[in-house]
Amino acid sequence: MSSKIIIIAAITLLTVSFSILFVIETKNHNYDYGKTWSVVYFENPSDNSLDFTIENHLGEKAEYKYEVLAGDKKVIDKKVEIEAGAKQKISPVIESAVDDERITINVRFKDTGYKIYKNYK
Amino acid sequence: MFFDLLRLILTFPFVFILPGFFLLLAIFGGKDGRLSFFEKAILTVPISIISVDFLVLGLNRLHILINGPVLLGTTTAFCLLGYIAFQLRFKKGGKQKSDGGEAFQDPFNFSYWQTIFILISLFLAIFIRATYLSDTIVPSATDMGHHMFWVQKIIDTGNLPNYGMPDFIIGEHIPFAVVNLLSSASVMGAMPILILFFVNIVGIFTLAMLAGRIFKSSKVTATAIFVVGVLYAINAPQGKYVSGGVVGNVFGNMLIPVALYFLYRALSEKDSVFAGLFIFSLTGLLYAHHLSAFILLYSIAAIVVAYLALNLDRIFKVIGDWIKIFLKPFPLLFLIFSILFFIFVYTPSYFNPSAVAQATGEPTKITRTGLDFNQLEMNAGSARLILGALGFVLLLTAFKRKEYKYSFALAWVVVLFLMSWKPGWIYVNVPSNRIGNYLFLPFSLLASFGLAEFLHFFRKSATFFFSTVLLFILLFFVITDGLADSAEVFKMRPQFQEAVQAFHSAQYLAEKLDTSRDILLKDHVNIYGDSWYKLFFMQDYKYPLSRGMLSRYVDPTKPRETCTRDMITIPETETAKKCFLETGVNYVALNAQLEGNSFEKYPDFSKIYSSNYIAIFKRNN
Repeated sequence: MSSKIIIIAAITLLTVSFSILFVIETKNHNYDYGKTWSVVYFENPSDNSLDFTIENHLGEKAEYKYEVLAGDKKVIDKKVEIEAGAKQKISPVIESAVDDERITINVRFKDTGYKIYKNYK
Repeated sequence: MFFDLLRLILTFPFVFILPGFFLLLAIFGGKDGRLSFFEKAILTVPISIISVDFLVLGLNRLHILINGPVLLGTTTAFCLLGYIAFQLRFKKGGKQKSDGGEAFQDPFNFSYWQTIFILISLFLAIFIRATYLSDTIVPSATDMGHHMFWVQKIIDTGNLPNYGMPDFIIGEHIPFAVVNLLSSASVMGAMPILILFFVNIVGIFTLAMLAGRIFKSSKVTATAIFVVGVLYAINAPQGKYVSGGVVGNVFGNMLIPVALYFLYRALSEKDSVFAGLFIFSLTGLLYAHHLSAFILLYSIAAIVVAYLALNLDRIFKVIGDWIKIFLKPFPLLFLIFSILFFIFVYTPSYFNPSAVAQATGEPTKITRTGLDFNQLEMNAGSARLILGALGFVLLLTAFKRKEYKYSFALAWVVVLFLMSWKPGWIYVNVPSNRIGNYLFLPFSLLASFGLAEFLHFFRKSATFFFSTVLLFILLFFVITDGLADSAEVFKMRPQFQEAVQAFHSAQYLAEKLDTSRDILLKDHVNIYGDSWYKLFFMQDYKYPLSRGMLSRYVDPTKPRETCTRDMITIPETETAKKCFLETGVNYVALNAQLEGNSFEKYPDFSKIYSSNYIAIFKRNN
């Protein structure tokens, strides 16, 4: 009888801990659950397009400032509001992008900056 | 989420309990006194794992695509065959053996207080591990990432992979693939760690079962569950090996005691059925983990030599008895089955003369020349080492050379100690720290015996006060030292944020890159969970390229490839530029805070992705 109690206890304890661990993993595997981060990336990394996306994983609605620089010259300076867990695709239009050595996109939320750029030369 | 969890929980008994249960039923029937309920319950798991491995290897040999319905049908058919064999052997005129010599001395019939002690130990063993794993449950461990790549290959192709390298063994991957194909639980989820967690807990029981049988004492069984399960529950090779995905070791630590258990019972009870099951479990281990099999073979050799040396005066009788045990239809059947399986069904990738030659002989590297006493103490654990030494001495005081338990317990610990401390003495040429991880097995066995005998000794002592004080001092040391690693669990910080950012970057690259022409290099040194990148691409095992730990590039015995290091460390040098041309690397994924910042000054690169943790650069054409 004692053996049966031990085996049943082991199965019960394992089932409970498996369930808890499974739920913890599933929740935390999410980009947003308990996370505070953002990401900025080019939609087409291998061509000259400047389309980029900002993803908000800060856990709250956030206002991002972004600027586009052609070389050292600021050509676009805007803001965009993005809901928590959402992403926003942005297609900046500037003249003669490839004439400049580098087009830089600076995105900022509060004190944190995210920079992406394409070097053309 | 609820249905995913339910499917996974229901798949566990189907894969890890039923095949073993029906095989044991076919062999022993329902009322055989040779196995207690406790032993049957424990043995169903390792026997299921080995059976499922053999079934999948057989399916692969028959060129049957491995998928969910096929596995469901094959496993069910296997269970049915077991049930039919049981009916034919035991129900229709077959005689049920009711006892097996030593069966009446059931070391698994626990008293009330022993049951309470085991339940508390079990609760602590599972609670400490689960708490630790809750901080590492999101996939991130390097080894696990490598293993899950091969598991995903099996899932995607329906065939077993050709590894092309001796590092991986098929039995390490089959159980994960089977659970995925039956339950749909992703390999990039909790499933792999839960399987290892389960195997690790069963491993506690298998060692306790071996200890119980060898010492024929329920006290020792109960103490073994405490010594293996609660002491050093997090240190390698326990919780850390589970979360780290050290699959082979975790499986090996469960299967080694099982093989020794069957061997012990075969020899001590002159029982050919156990001899057959010993061959079965040894074969299963050979398919599951090479190092564990190597350790087991050395252990068996030491036990055999020790017993023969101690019984030199009747050596021919002993050998004659062994031949009689193994030259019976049941073990011969398993032996022939194993040999045919090796030759015609599946030969493990490491099974070749050069691999054997590499692992034996004089140590060829400094890391293989043995551990010093401090390292040995760290591997086995101070409390376990002291209790094991105590058990060793106590066992010597009651030494009886004709009894197998002395050869098993003493020769096992001596050979593993020598393999770790002075491997050159016994021609072992394997990294010593890897062998040291197995020291806990024989030391736990002796420590359980030592602790149980110690408690017994002091309870009988005339000076009650003195004995109680000594007992508490010992227990205080054992518990404080043995639980020190578990206390660290509560100070850990989960790295889920880093892991999901690494996954996000890998997903981005998998969507944007054309893997037929784009070559990615990632940084293993500074990116957490980077080994899981390859699961997003599922190309060659070596895709994407990786900058490894810097020490790996320095090898005095042979020149190593250094391009993967130089392309990240010194990308603007001529050496690195040549490497970029030779390898075709045009994307580099880095830790944003470290190399990610310094890369911004190189005009040859565009920065295409930027998160808090990961930066990705594209090399300009």
